Amino acid sequence: MANVSVAAEWQLLYNRYYRKPELYPMRWKHVDLARHKVAGAPFGGPVAVIRDDSKIVQLHAESALRKLRLFNSAGHPLADAVWRHPGGRLIGMSWNDDLTLVCVVQDGTIYRYDLHAQLVEPNISMGKECFEQNVADCAFWGNGVVCITEQNQLFCIPDFRNPKPVPLADPMIDEPPRCIAVIEPQYTMSGNVEVLLGVADDPVVLVVEEDGVQRLGEGLLRGPLQKMVVSRDGKWLASFTHDGRLLVTTSDLTGIIIERECESSLPPEQIAWCGMDAVLLYWDDMLLMMGPDGDPVHYLYDEPIILIPECDGVRILSNTSMEFLQRVPDSTVSIFTIGSTSPAALLYDALDHFDRRSAKADENLRLIKPSLPEAVEACVDASGHEFDVSRQRTLLRAASYGQAFCSNFQRDRIQEMCKILRVLNAVRNPEIGIPLSIQQYKLLSPSVLIGRLINAHRHLLALRISEYLGMNQEVVIMHWACSKITASLSIPDATLLDILLDKLKLCKGISYAAVAAHADKNGRRKLAAMLVDHEPRSSKQVPLLLSIGEEDTALMKATESGDIDLVYLVLFHIWQKRQSLEFFGTIQARPLARDLFITYARCYKHEYLKDFFLSTGQLQDVAFLLWKESWEFVKNPMASKGSPLHGPRIKLIEKAQSLFAETKEHVFESKAAEEHAKLLRIQHELEVTTKQAIFVDSSISDTIRTCIVLGNHRAAMRVKTEFKVSEKRWYWLKVFALATIKDWVALEKFSKEKRPPIGYRPFVEACIEADEKAEAIKYIPKLADPRERAESYARIGLVKEAADAASQAKDGELLGRLKLTFAQNAAASSIFDTLRDRLSFPGAS
Amino acid sequence: MAQIPNLDNAPINLISIREQSQKELINILKNIRGKKCLVIDPKLGDSLSLIIQTSLLKEHGVELRHLSADHIQTDCTKVVYLVRSQPNLMRHICSNIHHDESKGLQREYHVYFVPRRTVVCEKVLEEEKLHNMVTIGEYPLYIVPMDEDVLSFELDLAYKECQVDGDTSSLWHIAKAIHKLEFSFGVIPNLRAKGKASVRVADILNRMQAEEPVNSSDMVMPEINTLILLDREVDMVTPLCSQLTYEGLLDEFLNIKNGSIELDASIMGLQQEGEKTKVPLNSTDKLFKEIRDLNFEVVVQILRQKATSMKQDYTEMTTTSQSVSELKDFVKKLNSLPEITRHINLAQHLTTFTSKPSFLGQLDMEHTIVESQSYDICFDYIEELIHKQEPLTTVLRLLILFSVTNSGLPKKHFDYLRRELLHSYGFEHITTLNNLEKAGLFKKQESRSNWLTIKRALQLVVEDTDTANPNDISYVFSGYAPLSIRLIQHAIRSGWRPVEEILKLLPGPHLETKRGAFSNSPSFDSLSGVSTGIAKVPDGRRALVLVVFVGGVTFAEISALRFLCSQEGMAYDLIIATTKIVNGQTLVETFMEKLG
Repeated sequence: MANVSVAAEWQLLYNRYYRKPELYPMRWKHVDLARHKVAGAPFGGPVAVIRDDSKIVQLHAESALRKLRLFNSAGHPLADAVWRHPGGRLIGMSWNDDLTLVCVVQDGTIYRYDLHAQLVEPNISMGKECFEQNVADCAFWGNGVVCITEQNQLFCIPDFRNPKPVPLADPMIDEPPRCIAVIEPQYTMSGNVEVLLGVADDPVVLVVEEDGVQRLGEGLLRGPLQKMVVSRDGKWLASFTHDGRLLVTTSDLTGIIIERECESSLPPEQIAWCGMDAVLLYWDDMLLMMGPDGDPVHYLYDEPIILIPECDGVRILSNTSMEFLQRVPDSTVSIFTIGSTSPAALLYDALDHFDRRSAKADENLRLIKPSLPEAVEACVDASGHEFDVSRQRTLLRAASYGQAFCSNFQRDRIQEMCKILRVLNAVRNPEIGIPLSIQQYKLLSPSVLIGRLINAHRHLLALRISEYLGMNQEVVIMHWACSKITASLSIPDATLLDILLDKLKLCKGISYAAVAAHADKNGRRKLAAMLVDHEPRSSKQVPLLLSIGEEDTALMKATESGDIDLVYLVLFHIWQKRQSLEFFGTIQARPLARDLFITYARCYKHEYLKDFFLSTGQLQDVAFLLWKESWEFVKNPMASKGSPLHGPRIKLIEKAQSLFAETKEHVFESKAAEEHAKLLRIQHELEVTTKQAIFVDSSISDTIRTCIVLGNHRAAMRVKTEFKVSEKRWYWLKVFALATIKDWVALEKFSKEKRPPIGYRPFVEACIEADEKAEAIKYIPKLADPRERAESYARIGLVKEAADAASQAKDGELLGRLKLTFAQNAAASSIFDTLRDRLSFPGAS
Repeated sequence: MAQIPNLDNAPINLISIREQSQKELINILKNIRGKKCLVIDPKLGDSLSLIIQTSLLKEHGVELRHLSADHIQTDCTKVVYLVRSQPNLMRHICSNIHHDESKGLQREYHVYFVPRRTVVCEKVLEEEKLHNMVTIGEYPLYIVPMDEDVLSFELDLAYKECQVDGDTSSLWHIAKAIHKLEFSFGVIPNLRAKGKASVRVADILNRMQAEEPVNSSDMVMPEINTLILLDREVDMVTPLCSQLTYEGLLDEFLNIKNGSIELDASIMGLQQEGEKTKVPLNSTDKLFKEIRDLNFEVVVQILRQKATSMKQDYTEMTTTSQSVSELKDFVKKLNSLPEITRHINLAQHLTTFTSKPSFLGQLDMEHTIVESQSYDICFDYIEELIHKQEPLTTVLRLLILFSVTNSGLPKKHFDYLRRELLHSYGFEHITTLNNLEKAGLFKKQESRSNWLTIKRALQLVVEDTDTANPNDISYVFSGYAPLSIRLIQHAIRSGWRPVEEILKLLPGPHLETKRGAFSNSPSFDSLSGVSTGIAKVPDGRRALVLVVFVGGVTFAEISALRFLCSQEGMAYDLIIATTKIVNGQTLVETFMEKLG
């Protein structure tokens, strides 16, 4: 049966099965791992190889220059670069989380390469001490590195995104440590990296941090450690002791979990965790897998291998193949163990019978009916763990076969698994060479996977996957567009624009401005300008237009957007960049920009605004500014009234007046300014003669009033004639002024001077307002309009007179209103009623 | 009763908008740890009083100050400025900080801009070399709910800035505010706009939708069906007329500020002599809700009735024996007594103004000008006001009304009145005149006025208005139907098409479009229907129309809209948004600017 052959490949370690399927035969040629330094990235990442300069090797038909070569996990070449760096030997090399290859050389310089073997600038230095003392060894973790110098000083870079070397505490040891391991910052209490050192002749482990050194494991260890490795979660430490034992302890070395004798006391070349429950030890041609109990598993290799730890196993890279050593998942075990009678195994078997049209299929199904859902679930799960596509298919078919008889199974589980497997199979293709297991895929997350694909310039696949998984494609398209621009130096702008637009339009809301910015960075300003034109968001478009020097377009776009803030942004930019006159010319052509400039300048750049108006010939606006300035003299406390400072003030106003006079349209303003200057002179004189500082800055009318109130009728008259004040206004002013000082005699005299040009109403109103009924009565009869008479009488409470006047006016509406006014007064209201009846007007309210 | 209005009955969820603004403000304060001095620009402070209680601010360790040129007296080492993003306010902040520097005070400064940071404000800080000393943030307050159906953008200078300075920032603000509403309530499918600024707002709004689309994929029915945008410029007649509704009159004489008025305590029958008291005016007050929109004449009668019936009940209560349930009813009625008293006091106070001959004269004159019958009488009246040196705003209000209805004055009269104004009030007012001329409010006549045609075509002057049982919006001005509301009435009923000819006589272009996912959908073809069922939202609520006044709206106009809403056969609920609630006086004041 097929089942047997599957399980035959498994090895039993204690009570668990392990398997080691080959992921790929390596496609590379002439790579001998023994001669090279090798770095393999986790999560099915790439492999970097470079000739090991610490070994003496025979050169065959090859250049003496070393070459850094990058391959994917299937040995498919990605890129290479000649290594010409100074700084001594290459000490260590490792991929960090974002798949940058980090290479540390002897003098403490760190060179970084991307997936395309392009050097990432700038190079990082580990600092002066490393340079002087030489780096002896280093240890990496996801995003950092620790270096130890030949004088046993430690330096670390905690995070490559911010590559600043930090010195760690001095471990105070004379001999180089036997072994070194790190606990990643995310697993330590302090949040800083902890470096574990196994020192010679001392049965302890030194833990070195930034601010101190601790000794751990005293009393626990019987001798120095030769080799050690920390588990993925930072909790456990596997180590190889001086006397040939494998020791698994907690990472703070407080307790021993496992202690096993090994067959050799020679320290292994490599030691690694396989998932969380086994440790691999590699000597020259033997790989030993140790579990918590039971006999270890031996694997024999006749060629050198490299162990690449993963979260759920270890990839084993040899010259010819890439294998994946993992614990067999429980679901797979339940289906394929020899003689398994688990429901899942029976379901799998049932499918086989079904395919062979055997009635036994039905029998099997009936047997497992109650636990069918678990069986289906196990098949689905097992299919996810398979690398072999045909076996994935069979398992899924079994699941789907079982599901048909199973009413309460979550139907989208199978669909979901198919989806995941399609993605996994696509990236496992040797061309792509990312042999992710399902567990690794879930841990890595689809978006990071897509990120890795686009970094590897696998844009089409990345786009398809993100489309398939319903993820935002913007990242992919954006990256593609930028890479395309970088790679297409020889394609003319217009052609490239079409190519780009064709793809960019796939993604709604993508930032054309960002692509344009990239084009500009690549020195393709024209392309940038064409791209940015497609950006719908003005807030992104305008700043970019400015940065590529398209100020006029920027101003136009900002104006169109209606966002004043953007207009100001452009305005200030141009203002700073251009000569005044050129700037004035630019904004003069754009009303909105011009108006905004004026608004701002009115507040903060007064003089500059004057220059602007002069340059554009808006003399009247200069005049207004000067006129406004003339008041500044008043605000200035030095300019006390009546002082000679009125001189300069008047001069300013006169200057304004002459500017107004330059244009025909501003005759009125010019006249007003002239009058204003004249008024100030007269007021000044008046203040001198009356010795009272009460005139300046009052209006012409107020000046006349003040004069009359002061009894200076001659002065009032003079102001009147100087400014050609009309008789009408004169009467109002004089009457009210006289009423203010209650000079009733003068008022009466004034009323008799001649027939007042606007009648006696001013007299009546002034008296009523001053509450002088007796005076008012003198003038009311002289009012020409009976209605006015009636209302005036009413206002001073003379009911009968009011009623008489109203009836004279024959105005029913008026009568009604007057009645309302006297509503409280019964006698009065009857008077109105009778009068209205007599007039027989229709009721008014 | 609180000044913060109760929004429970709002046709859309305004509470969430207000709570969002509250939360954002509190978060700003929380993020600045410890005690801090919050310096608010006074106008913004007024708006905030409708959003959040001062006590709540104090809970977050805040010492409150108003922004002014004077330096800040506080022990706090952290100073948080909360200001509208207006360049002229920066001056105060700068002088504050410079003062602290000169005194050697080490403080931490935060400047939060409302509604967003702007290049021009930061430029001022930069020029003063302060931009490295302050932490800049934003408080995105675009809308303040004034009442359950009124929203304000709190842009009091919007109209003047647009018309005189050419600064259209307010239009972007309005569009942004509407766009924000759309994020909560869906893309508004129908849009109607009249006037240059309104059409521009519509344009910016569509741009925003293109740039940052409201996610309409879930295809829920938008909560707001129609957006009507109207420029104040289209109708400058209405705000200049004296409002005759209760709320309108309160605003004219007592100046309603952010939903409350401040007056002498004695007027309200309170003991504290000479002290001021604040009276909140919003729909939380049931009686006010009932009478705010009525013509004042009617309000007086209603109040009298209520008082009389109260008195009657009381006499019955003391003379005859009552059952317990009757007693209960009576006590229930007694609960409304404070409200009745409050409004009787207010109404009484108002009558002291409304009975003044000067007010009656002014009303008379307004009607004469609106009727546009006798030019000379109006001219003489205004001339006399100037000669008598009546308050300048009063004069300008009539003068603008006069100029607008005549589309300017003949050059001779124009120059004459300007000269008389300068002579009477001082030459410093030349700027005010200049502003008014730029805004086209008081100008030289260049073409014949079409006011008469408009007035006739839209039936703006209605004879025999029954203010007690009105059947037309003209009741709010006792015979004049506000032009703005007439237009909206048409816009709601039948769209612009039937009134296109008249719209052409009014300033600015007009626009009518469909938006969002509905632009191609035939089922949303028209809003024509009182009769059609389209207007009805499935759950039986009435469809909602958002009316936006670009440049301000008066209480009387709001009342007229509420009246329209209450009419039988009306298929829509209305919600009103405005740059600011204005009246003739406040509107004219924005244009007044002294040279000195």
